[in-house]
Amino acid sequence: MQSQDKYRIALFSAYAIAIHSFENLLPTPIPWLRLGIANIITLATLVLYGFRAAMMVTLIRVILSSIFIGTFLGPGFIMSFCGGVSSTVAMGITFSLFPRLFGPVGLSLIGALFHNAAQLFIAYLLFVRQLEAILIVTPLLILLGTITGVVNGFIGNILINNITDKSPQ
Amino acid sequence: MKSSEIRRDKKVLTERMTLADILLLAALVTISISGFVFIKEAFPQGTDVRIEVNGKLAYRLPLNTNTTITVKGIIGNTMVEIKNKKVRITESPCLNKICIHTGWIDRGAVVCIPNRVTVFVDRSEGKENKAIDAITG
Repeated sequence: MQSQDKYRIALFSAYAIAIHSFENLLPTPIPWLRLGIANIITLATLVLYGFRAAMMVTLIRVILSSIFIGTFLGPGFIMSFCGGVSSTVAMGITFSLFPRLFGPVGLSLIGALFHNAAQLFIAYLLFVRQLEAILIVTPLLILLGTITGVVNGFIGNILINNITDKSPQ
Repeated sequence: MKSSEIRRDKKVLTERMTLADILLLAALVTISISGFVFIKEAFPQGTDVRIEVNGKLAYRLPLNTNTTITVKGIIGNTMVEIKNKKVRITESPCLNKICIHTGWIDRGAVVCIPNRVTVFVDRSEGKENKAIDAITG
């Protein structure tokens, strides 16, 4: 059981790192827009194997991929770390409190929202210190996060269904 | 057989979408769209360009005169251009060049986090009056 958990965490972390690094190479129309497709892996891990596994996968993904990309301990890393941790915590709390209320799409939306909220908060605390500038980009970020959140939720849903179909235990 | 597979996939897609999901989605879309309207009302186009380096005020320039200035940041020089009542960052020593890709702005801010340079557009006067107007309608 224990070693199987480790194996799963390692496998999902590897997927998440690959997706995260690939996403970093994609050009996006709006410069600071990230699709957050690595969150699909976090979402699937959370629904299939629980909160602790999801948290491990997120931490491994954020730290290792930042080392690979070369932003470790830089400002981008701080933003990505806080966003990833807070979205995983938010999704985990929602999933353990109301497991039947939200499906993968709702969880993904919550994750995207908290990811954006944490990044805006950190940007305000550490870098910008100007509430107006943060407020102006907030609606745009929430809207974009909602769109990517829905898409990620659907893909995560397909992934979760495929994995549960193939492993009957 | 293929069509049945597609149908099954469609069912799978909507199967786990609960009512709460749809409500949350609707709420988020509503909040963000009303946020756009609120921002347009609450923060009109600015008149001043304020450039901060590492949180400290470095330059204050009017938005209606065209200039190009060089701002010394933490890791190098950032070039800021003011033209036609809009501001942009034209050159930056940072790696990802997010600040350059942000392009022209006439409200809000362009931020270059690696170089700690922030370019704000705000109003030099009448800010308090505007706040009171917004409250009293």
